[in-house]
Amino acid sequence: MPETPVITPLKAAPNAPSAFVPLRFIVVGVLSLGLALGLTAIHPAVLATYHYNQQVIAITHLLLLGWIASVVMGAVYQLVPVALETRLYSERLARWQFLFHVIGFAGMVWMFWRWDMKQVGHFGSAFAVGVGLFVWNLVRTLARVKRWNVIAFAIGAALAWLVLTVLVGLSVAAGKCAYEYATPLTQSGWLRTTLRGLQAAGAFMGRFDQLGAMHAHAHAGVVGCFVMLIVGVSCRLLPMFAVSELQSPRRAAWSVGLLNLGLLGSFFAMLTRHPLKPLAALVMAAGLALYALEVRAILRARRRAQLDWGLRQFLAALALLIPGATLGLFLSWPALAVTPLVGQLENLYGLLGVLGVVSLAILGMLYKIVPFLVWFGRYSGEIGRCRVPNLADLYSTPVQIAGFASYAAGLLVTAAGTVLASEPVVRVGALVLGGSWLCLAANFALMFRHLFHPRLAPLSPQPAGKAVLA
Amino acid sequence: MNETVTEAMVLAALREVIDPELGCNLVDLGLIYDVQITGATVRVRMTLTTPGCPMSESITWGVKQALLNLGPVMDAEVELVWEPRWHPDMASEAGRGALGLRPA
Repeated sequence: MPETPVITPLKAAPNAPSAFVPLRFIVVGVLSLGLALGLTAIHPAVLATYHYNQQVIAITHLLLLGWIASVVMGAVYQLVPVALETRLYSERLARWQFLFHVIGFAGMVWMFWRWDMKQVGHFGSAFAVGVGLFVWNLVRTLARVKRWNVIAFAIGAALAWLVLTVLVGLSVAAGKCAYEYATPLTQSGWLRTTLRGLQAAGAFMGRFDQLGAMHAHAHAGVVGCFVMLIVGVSCRLLPMFAVSELQSPRRAAWSVGLLNLGLLGSFFAMLTRHPLKPLAALVMAAGLALYALEVRAILRARRRAQLDWGLRQFLAALALLIPGATLGLFLSWPALAVTPLVGQLENLYGLLGVLGVVSLAILGMLYKIVPFLVWFGRYSGEIGRCRVPNLADLYSTPVQIAGFASYAAGLLVTAAGTVLASEPVVRVGALVLGGSWLCLAANFALMFRHLFHPRLAPLSPQPAGKAVLA
Repeated sequence: MNETVTEAMVLAALREVIDPELGCNLVDLGLIYDVQITGATVRVRMTLTTPGCPMSESITWGVKQALLNLGPVMDAEVELVWEPRWHPDMASEAGRGALGLRPA
């Protein structure tokens, strides 16, 4: 008689946390993307005009924290134990982080929109607590890794850049606040220390050019944290999905090393408007070029002739690193005059990074992660007892292709509208991107339907055994 | 009169267990290294496509269930090994077709 299943319900793998932990982050992330695209369609000026205003900053944080950070954090909880073959340090910390994360980013976006920097700082502090829990959980998880490799190093570096991004962001917010009520509150020790620390950090950041500080903050977050994670984790996932091998661990390690070195240089160059900024950008581009060579080698050595659409989407995102890095090199030139066109090209650079490389890569990987989580949630206990569907059977591939095609078209139109500083064109682009989001939402609905209406079939009849006397 | 389990029965049962990511059964993927039958006990030595495979617990659980579903099997043991390491060339012709593998 078959024994009782040993798998905890909705637990995706021996090392992974409960599937509900990543799923809740992912659902919040996808909803945030829909909201951000809707707001861009309503306010196309966010891309059609220069990027230093409250609505741009609010929508950017909705995309970076609400969409990208939510999905990345959920996926990291799921993928890092898999990629590093270890166990997550604490699932409880992940649940607490979710609470701080949602309250923090939602409040920040709202307060950026109202341009209430003091409240941005308060909600940002809640977000920072969540980041602290996330980083602590991951650092403890990394401490369990027996053999460090390029993947572990890239994840560690991404965490360090995340911490730096949050600290710079909070310091910039503190620099814009006047703590006029600080004096009567400064009687107790910890509060006085915190307020003095905030004031000191704000005063320190005030010594730098504010636009440069904002660019350094954004770069550390998007490239340092998110692109770094994409580069590191893909060294494990790309060979796994394409049935291939990492071709040169040394080349991969150099690419991550150069990326970090260039990032460090560009961070300080942006902050201080240093003339050596192009050199730092060149080092970063060299790191990305080495990564591109490694990806090409992995794909050339692959055994799977046809790549699935999730992987194609991910590779399309990586291809966008080429125009993104080229534009970055151009914009890093110190003698470049700040004309309206250059301002729009800076917007385009941000668009290519946020909605291009990072978002497209995430959208591709979502078609790996979410079917996987749903499958485990519903079918892992049935395998061997019933006929269960494959991961690719959980969603509609034509809808996925339609989503990919409309995303590519929407990105192209939005990019054109950004360069042309045309609000109507940006609006059309955002609406097409919104259509792509609807395709994603439809496929999510198809996938989640399996949780409530599983598709199980009986096994084939088995051949008869030999008859013997009892 | 009782039935005894045969290797053909075991392999047929294991053909019902799929790797859901690759969309192919374990036998045709070449993941089953050895089957030993001792009376009503079946012992399977198998591997997975990658050591970090997130499906490992679920697939080995599925293998055990498929074996215990065979009438004559009273006990099933699944040993997961990483040597020799799986290679796409270990897949059968049908497995290669299902995986869409191209020649090495």
